[in-house]
Amino acid sequence: MSARRPRRPVRKKQRSQAATWYRQPELLDALVLGTWSLALFRYWFTGQLFLLLHPNYMWLPNGSAFVLLAMAGFKLMQFRRRANRISASNHSTLLPPRFSSLVLLAIAVLSLMYTPQAFASDKAIQRGISDSLTLTRSQPQRFVRQTASEERTVIDWIRTLNVYPEPDAYTGQAVKLSGFVIHPEDWPEEYLLISRFVLTCCAADAYPVGLPVQLAVSRQAYAPDTWLEIEGKMTTTTINDQRQLTIEPTKLETIPEPRNPYEY
Amino acid sequence: MEKLSNGLTLFFSLLVEAIPFLLIGVAFSSLLLFFVNERSLIKILPKHPLMGAIAGSLMGIFFPVCECGNVPVARRLIVQGAPSSVAVGFLLAAPTINPVVFWATWVAFRGQPEIVFLRVLFTLIIAVTIAWVFSRQRDMRPLLQAAVTRQMPKPQTASVNPLLRSGTFLLQTDGATLQIDDPATQEIIASGPSKPFAVKLQLALDNMVQELRELGAVLIMGSALAAFVQVAVPREWIIALGQNFVTSILAMMLLAAVVSICSTVDSFFALSFSSTFTSGALLAFLVFGPMIDLKNIGLLLTLFKPRVIFYIFALAAQMCFILTLFTNFYVS
Repeated sequence: MSARRPRRPVRKKQRSQAATWYRQPELLDALVLGTWSLALFRYWFTGQLFLLLHPNYMWLPNGSAFVLLAMAGFKLMQFRRRANRISASNHSTLLPPRFSSLVLLAIAVLSLMYTPQAFASDKAIQRGISDSLTLTRSQPQRFVRQTASEERTVIDWIRTLNVYPEPDAYTGQAVKLSGFVIHPEDWPEEYLLISRFVLTCCAADAYPVGLPVQLAVSRQAYAPDTWLEIEGKMTTTTINDQRQLTIEPTKLETIPEPRNPYEY
Repeated sequence: MEKLSNGLTLFFSLLVEAIPFLLIGVAFSSLLLFFVNERSLIKILPKHPLMGAIAGSLMGIFFPVCECGNVPVARRLIVQGAPSSVAVGFLLAAPTINPVVFWATWVAFRGQPEIVFLRVLFTLIIAVTIAWVFSRQRDMRPLLQAAVTRQMPKPQTASVNPLLRSGTFLLQTDGATLQIDDPATQEIIASGPSKPFAVKLQLALDNMVQELRELGAVLIMGSALAAFVQVAVPREWIIALGQNFVTSILAMMLLAAVVSICSTVDSFFALSFSSTFTSGALLAFLVFGPMIDLKNIGLLLTLFKPRVIFYIFALAAQMCFILTLFTNFYVS
């Protein structure tokens, strides 16, 4: 008992210093790092990372989640053993450290609460869908002639068109693809655009591509952003004085938004 | 509401892609800070002004630091007597010419590889030229802040007969003497092998968290601005500004100087403008930003006198503008 006694006052003193958690740099750091790690783990396990990144790079944030967790653990350990704290080298900072920490913490909490949304037709129109019929940034690495036409996705069709743009060359070919609906404002009522966003790196560079669909009825039957699976044949139509490869659907089916709405 | 949601998705996608690279960047710079000895590096560097400028510019390959980590390193190089051409070349080029930044730029601009390579080429041209210009100044003292000058070794000691020098000396094994009150010796004593590995590692980790905190906050603000511009500013305005060969470059250079985003992650920021801005403008952002920005000026002021920073700024801005304008006209 007597051996324990002298320890107590020291502890109490520490407690009183620890009154406000955000004034404890180590604790605040641990909290910031831990929350970010949690946020990254959440994106990973809920599959929401698909809405943000190209799958090739997903290991980067996934790995970071582990590293951040380890760093949070390190800081927590440092907090518990305050006595061995070593003051780091002089470091000139632009922002006050506590302000930086609180900004980081606030954004990590926000990312835990917010569920990312896949981009939809309004974003496509804002990004300029009309250009995309003649422009895709990723050049095709190979041109596979033998792909069955009904296995091509929207982006495959656009890449094929880039290589050989004459629409008549594809007349009669079978099509089966899925995408979301865009109503281009200056198009006639019976045409809609079936589109996909294409990603090279992350959602920041998502750009839309699309193919026109000729409907028998008014396009109002299919609201913008509805996901459709379309089967049909290719034909050539003239929309706004421009000859375009168009899908003539035989079957139109509404489908739920896929888990991974982008193409690559 | 749609716009807010798009903006947030854009914002988080930028953050999620950039944070891993930021982590790699701060990890490297922290480890180097405590585990690499610049003194032995300076000994093998070439003394010729142009070769020194080139060597300094390429040193970033071994010191993968972004523009916040390079000022402390350049400061230590200068204090330990590196030639001015090496120090200035390193200061300007290291944030761009290093493997981490190259990789991040490659990830972002896989679809436009010319941007990745021209970024490296233009940075090299600008950094080597400016470093060469600065090599005319043999003695850097008049350019530096007084606090840095005090730490530098005295230049004239060599001409004085060693027997006539006063002070405390250590006799070394090879018969040479080491003056204890010489600042350079003090540096060795302070940072030498006295610290055990575990302490060094802990210091490196501490430094990593510190840099991550600082740069993370800047990254968040930069990403927020990028996302905001993407969704809130009318597309016609951005296109009008971004498609003009001259204004697009000037706008991106101004943006680079203001956002102060770290060079390991700035390619993702630029990526969000890739569909609307000319390639030259994106390059201007990627080349100019790591050299000079608001955050960097604050750090540079701990090293150079304001006049010098202005010269570097003016030279870098002009060369960057001319090179990227050339890109707009002849390359893309």
